[in-house]
Amino acid sequence: MKFTANTRIVIACGIAASIFTLFSARLIDLHVAKHEEYAEMAARKHNTCQIIHAKRGMILDRNGEILASNLPVRTIVADASRMKKPEILADLVAEHLSLDAKEVLEKFSTGKKYIVLKREVPEEQAVDLFSDMQKHNLRGLFSEQDAVRTYPNGEILGHVLGFLNHEGKPVQGVELSMNSQLAGRDGYRFIQCDRTGREIVLYRGVEKEPENGKNVRLTIDMGLQTIVEEELDAAFKDLKPETANAVLVDPKTGAILAMASRPCFNPNEPGKAQPEQMKNRTILDMVEPGSTFKIVVASGALNEGKVDVKTSIFCENGRFSYGGRILKDHHGYGNMDVHEILVKSSNIGSAKMAMMMGGDKFYEYVRRFGFGERLGVELPGEIPGLVHPPARWDKLTITRMPMGQSVAVTPLQITMAMSVIANGGHLMAPRIIDSIETDKGEVTFKKKPTVMREVVPEKTAKFVADALIGVTQPGGTATFARVNGFQVAGKTGTAQKVSPHGGYAAGKYVVSFVGFLPAENPQFVLLVMVDDAKIASSLNYGGLVAAPIFSKIAERAARHLDLTPTTPPIPLQPVPIASNSNPDERDN
Amino acid sequence: MNTELTASVNSNPIQIGKILVVSFIVTVLLATGLGFVHLKNKQFAIGDQIRQTERKIRQVQAENEVLLAKVTELTSRPALQARVKSGYIAVVNITGDKVARLTPPVQAADVGTLRTAFNDVGRP
Repeated sequence: MKFTANTRIVIACGIAASIFTLFSARLIDLHVAKHEEYAEMAARKHNTCQIIHAKRGMILDRNGEILASNLPVRTIVADASRMKKPEILADLVAEHLSLDAKEVLEKFSTGKKYIVLKREVPEEQAVDLFSDMQKHNLRGLFSEQDAVRTYPNGEILGHVLGFLNHEGKPVQGVELSMNSQLAGRDGYRFIQCDRTGREIVLYRGVEKEPENGKNVRLTIDMGLQTIVEEELDAAFKDLKPETANAVLVDPKTGAILAMASRPCFNPNEPGKAQPEQMKNRTILDMVEPGSTFKIVVASGALNEGKVDVKTSIFCENGRFSYGGRILKDHHGYGNMDVHEILVKSSNIGSAKMAMMMGGDKFYEYVRRFGFGERLGVELPGEIPGLVHPPARWDKLTITRMPMGQSVAVTPLQITMAMSVIANGGHLMAPRIIDSIETDKGEVTFKKKPTVMREVVPEKTAKFVADALIGVTQPGGTATFARVNGFQVAGKTGTAQKVSPHGGYAAGKYVVSFVGFLPAENPQFVLLVMVDDAKIASSLNYGGLVAAPIFSKIAERAARHLDLTPTTPPIPLQPVPIASNSNPDERDN
Repeated sequence: MNTELTASVNSNPIQIGKILVVSFIVTVLLATGLGFVHLKNKQFAIGDQIRQTERKIRQVQAENEVLLAKVTELTSRPALQARVKSGYIAVVNITGDKVARLTPPVQAADVGTLRTAFNDVGRP
C-alpha cells in the first residue's frame, strides 16, 4: 500500500496534533482542574506563616529599677524532611545541646517536619550550633526566637511581681493583673521557603509588625522594699513565726511603697516553691486585727458626737459583765477619756463606745474604713475580709468587734484604715501601679491617687492621731515602736489565732503594730504583722514583737527618705528577752 | 540586448531590511529576557542579603538583650549585697565634714545618738 505525499502529511500532522492535544489536555488538567489541589500542596510545602513574637514589657519600680525583664533564648526545631545527613547532624546537635545522639537520630528518623529538640537554649549556644552547621554544610535545623522572664532581685518582691509558667502564661501578681499591657501582640509574616528551607524574601507576603508589651512602673520603692524584706527576714529567722508580713504605704496618695510576706519564694524558680510560700498574705489572708481596730470605734464615737475629748468612760476596773460573759482589760482602769482608752488599749472602754454608738452606726463606720470590701489594689485575688452585718451579730459582738474580734480583715485593709487617720480622714484607694510606658519611655497612662471616700473629718482624725502618739510614749503599749528623731503614732494589735477547728487556738497569737511617721506630717504608714511567733506567751504582744520590727524598718525608711528629724534623740530601750509566763488576758 | 534571459532568471535576493528587523526584534526579546532573568537574580540576591542582614540585626539585638539582662542581674540589689558581704566591694561612709552643704546642719546634742538622716535641716 502506497501513501501519497498528501496522505503522509495528513498522518504526520494528525499524530503531532494528537500528541499536542494530549499534552494540552494534561496541562489543562494540571492548571485548571487540579489547580486548587496542587496550589494547596505547594503552599503546604513552601508557604509558612511566621509568628513574630512581641517582646513582653518590663516591670520597673518607681525609680526605674528593673524588677522583671526578658532574657532572649531560642527553641531549636528540626525539619526531618529537609535533612541531608541526619547522622552527622544528630551528632552535632547532641554535642552542642547536651542531648543523647541516639535519641536525636530517632527523632529525625520519624521524618516529621516539626520536631522540637530543645527549648530555652541560650543565644550564644544557638549561634555556635548554627555556625557549625554552616561549616559542615548541613541543613534541616532552624530556631525560633523566645524569651525567658527573669527577676533580677530573686525573692525580693516575689509575691507582688508574680511569675510566668512554663507556657509563658502569667500566674499571679502584677504579671497576671497587668498581662494585657505587658504581653503586647504578636505579629506575623507569610513567607515562602526554598527546598532547603530558607526564606525567599522576594515572595514575602502579608506582614504585620508585632506590638511590644508596655513597661509597667510600680509605686514600689526598691530601697524601702529591701529594708522591709531584710528586717522581716531577720524577724522571721529570730521569731520563727508561721507567717509575717509588712506593708508600707504613702497615706496621702495610697501608693504602696513596699509590700512583703514571709514565707516567700523565688519567681525565677516557681517550681521549687510550695503553694503556701506563694501567697501574698497582705491581700489573701484574713486575720482578726485585735486592738488596731480600736481606731474605728474611737473615730466613729467622736464623729457621731457620742463622746468628746473630755468624755469620761468608766472602765469597770478591768472586769465588765455583759451578755453573760466577762470582758476584761489587761489592767484594771477606772474612768478614762478617749485618749487614754486608746493609749492604754482598753477593751472595756472601746466596747462601751461602740455600745453608745449602737450596732448599726458602728457597723457603718467599720465599712466606711474599708473593712469588708475589696479595696481594688491592682493585684489578683484580693479578698474582702469578713464583716457580718448587725442582723447577724450575737449579743457579744458589739463588745467584741471594737477590740478586733468577730471580724476578719486583710493586712492591707488595716494599713489603709490607719492611713485614714494619718491623712486627715480620707480613705485612699491603695495602688501599686504608678504608670504604663512604651518601651521608649513615653507614658501612656498615669494612675492618679483616688479618694474612695471621706471617712471622718480632719479634726476627728487629728484627735485620734494625737492619741496614737501617746501609744508609743512612756506609759503606752508600744514604746518599742519609737524612732529616734521622730514622733511615731500607732496602735498595737494582739489577737488570739482563730483555730481551723473553731474557736481560738490556745497560746497562738497574731500580733501587729501599725503606725505612721512623722506623726505631725505622716510620710508613710507601716504595718508589721507576725503570726504565731515562737516566743514566750508573756512576750507575744504587738508592742513587744511587732513594734520593735516597726521601729527598725521605720528608722531605716526615714533615713532612706531623707526625712528631717523633728524631735531630739532619745535613748533606745533594749527589747526584753523571752520568758515563760503565760498571762490569761491580752488586750493590746 | 537579451532581455528575455534576464527576466526568466529565478532570483532570490537577500532582504537585508527584513533580516535586520527580525534580528532587532530577536535581540530586543533576548535582551529583555536576559534582563528579566538578570533582574530576578539580582532580586533574589538582594533578598538573600536582606534575610542575612535581618538575621544579623536580630542576633545583635538578642546579644544586646542578653547583655542587658546580665547587667541587670549583676547590678541587682541581692547581687550587690552579696558582693559587699564577700568584700569584693565596700560601702564607705561619707562623714559629715566631707559633705559640702549650702547651710550647716543642726547637729544632735549627744554625739552618735541621732541615727536618722538630717540632710534637709536648714534647707529653705
